[in-house]
Amino acid sequence: MSPLVLALLVGAGLFGIGLYGALSQTNLVMIMMGIELMLGGALVNLVAFWRYLHPDVYSGQVFVLVVMTAMAVEMAVGFAVGIARFRARGSVEMEEAVDLKG
Amino acid sequence: MIASLLAIIGPLAALTLIVACRRTPAVFALGGALVVFGGAVGGLIDASAGGHASLAFAGMPDLPLRLQHDSLTAILSLTVATVALLVFVYAVGYMQAEPDKVRFFAEMSFFAAAMQGVVLAGDWILLLACWELIGLASYLLIGFWYERPLVPVAATRAFLTTRGADLGLYVAVFALVSTAGTSEVGQSVAANTGQFAIGMLLLLAAMGKSAQVPFHGWLQDAMLGPTPVSALLHSATLVAAGVILLIRSAPLFSAPMLTAVAAIGGLTILVTGVTALAQPDLKRMLAASTSSQLGFMLIGVGAGSPIAALVHLVAHAAMKAALFLGAGIFQHALDSTVFAELRGVGRAYPRVFILFALAGLALAGVPPLAGFWSKDPIEAATMESPLGAFLFPLALVGLLLTGAYVARALRLLWQGSAQRRPVPGMAWMLVGLAGVSLLATFLGPALVPTAQFVGGRLPTNVSSQLLGFGTAVLGLLAGWSGFTDRLAAPIASPAARGFRVGDGWIDVAVRPALALARAADRLDLSLYDTSVSAGRIGLGLATGPLARADALVERLVLAVGSDGLLLARASRRFDEVDLDGLIGQLVRATQLLGERVRRLQTGFVSRELLLAASGAAVILVLALAAR
Repeated sequence: MSPLVLALLVGAGLFGIGLYGALSQTNLVMIMMGIELMLGGALVNLVAFWRYLHPDVYSGQVFVLVVMTAMAVEMAVGFAVGIARFRARGSVEMEEAVDLKG
Repeated sequence: MIASLLAIIGPLAALTLIVACRRTPAVFALGGALVVFGGAVGGLIDASAGGHASLAFAGMPDLPLRLQHDSLTAILSLTVATVALLVFVYAVGYMQAEPDKVRFFAEMSFFAAAMQGVVLAGDWILLLACWELIGLASYLLIGFWYERPLVPVAATRAFLTTRGADLGLYVAVFALVSTAGTSEVGQSVAANTGQFAIGMLLLLAAMGKSAQVPFHGWLQDAMLGPTPVSALLHSATLVAAGVILLIRSAPLFSAPMLTAVAAIGGLTILVTGVTALAQPDLKRMLAASTSSQLGFMLIGVGAGSPIAALVHLVAHAAMKAALFLGAGIFQHALDSTVFAELRGVGRAYPRVFILFALAGLALAGVPPLAGFWSKDPIEAATMESPLGAFLFPLALVGLLLTGAYVARALRLLWQGSAQRRPVPGMAWMLVGLAGVSLLATFLGPALVPTAQFVGGRLPTNVSSQLLGFGTAVLGLLAGWSGFTDRLAAPIASPAARGFRVGDGWIDVAVRPALALARAADRLDLSLYDTSVSAGRIGLGLATGPLARADALVERLVLAVGSDGLLLARASRRFDEVDLDGLIGQLVRATQLLGERVRRLQTGFVSRELLLAASGAAVILVLALAAR
């Protein structure tokens, strides 16, 4: 098994775990962790493709950095929403957040 | 050029200050109007010294936004600025009791800036943008008292009508720019001389903005707005934008197009002139008269003399603004604009009445007031044009009608008696009114040099002068004696409603749609006939020698014939289903779909995440399968 396939399997595994987490959990924090894991899996794939297919071009790395920045921003927004929700209702359980529906 | 820039920047700065400070809006607005006026005067001085410039700003790629500065734009800019300044002064008094002055003066300043933009624009993109902005300002200002009944309807109607006609301008501009390769007004017009479709589209846009038949209805409804708005937007400037458009694109128009322009103008003169004769409401009568006078300008353009139209535009701005400002004082004095309740108001306020009457007589064309000087060139132009045999009598009838409705209004305001009571803000209002009214009185002799300044010849003709004067006097006498009232009595009620085309959109939109449906029906009938005859021919063939040779062909032809028949019947039935029903079904189906889809939106995050994930999975599978 080539290193590339191995890395892709690791990425797919991370993505699968993340997807399961995001779908099965009801807590906002847990869901966001799942999403992070999914993105992490995608990043592993990106890095693997860069490393084993086009190590001479750095755009792959740059792309990964951009995605990581977007992840950080997304987390900041997500936690801000979570904190606001917690202050208002004392809980971040998503099953109780139906009242947010317009 | 700098001076002309000031004319746009002034009111914009006033608007910003009003919105930012939210107090003393009148001071800022007046300051802005003064800057506009100063800028316009500076622009005129510059232009009279031979100044001629064009200023380009970065816009879209290859389509810069251009401001143009020459004698024509300087004259128009000064006209708009002068009327705006005096109306702003008047509005300080008129709106004294109004709680929401901030919004009023902000919107008025916004309009003043946008209108200067229309006048000074040197390319189509900027012109189009400002054209839309004045439409928006008109909507906002008609709807200023939006809590009163009928006002929102009137504002929406004005907006939608002009907006609909504006589509003509959009298509025309697209065609002009794409064929000429430049958005500069003069060049693109010169490159498209004689393009019939473009000319008609420009005419359509002008008809909407200038309230020409059949779009004239919105202007009378627009009278529900405050009177300074009626004076500035709906008599002097905004409605003149259509005529300005025609004047600027006049080189494009060839003889058949000019005939169309003149025909629209003539029709409007007659229809709205008679409307004004029978209107029971002072402001609505003035609105009808505005449409009618704009019709005069269209006839001027159609007779091949845009300069005559320009001169009448300038004079009309002063005359009609003065009439509206007078009407506004009467409105404040007796809380009404209906003639029956305004009886004798002229006697109670003699100074206002004299200024009002001066403007009215000027409009009727009595020498030496401005209207005489501005209408005579139009009559002379119609006499000189190849269509003179039709246009000249039409212009004379228009003059007769003008005299009649002006005299009728003066008589109704003078006869009877009314109680005089103090009107708040009278001093401001009188200053504004006196300004425009004196302009309407003394502007006349300045109009001939104006035309020379713009670089055109003003047609003059002694016989048309004499005939015009005689007709105007005849009209005045007929109107004062009440003769025309008796004459107009049988058509009073449709005329009072402004001959509006089928109470709104019925004639404009519904009838054409029905006609289209009928045409489709006819097409189907003919298809049906064709297939029947095809079937018959097939039958004839089949029963002939061929049938004996092959019975299969006969059956085939018969089947084709009857299938065609069935198809034709089915498609006919389909078209006979009511248009409303079809649209209703569409609406119901959309609603049903919407309700079904709504149920998916439960608000449970996990469920929606699951839906999203499974959707992504489906797309993934499809994408893999498609490889």
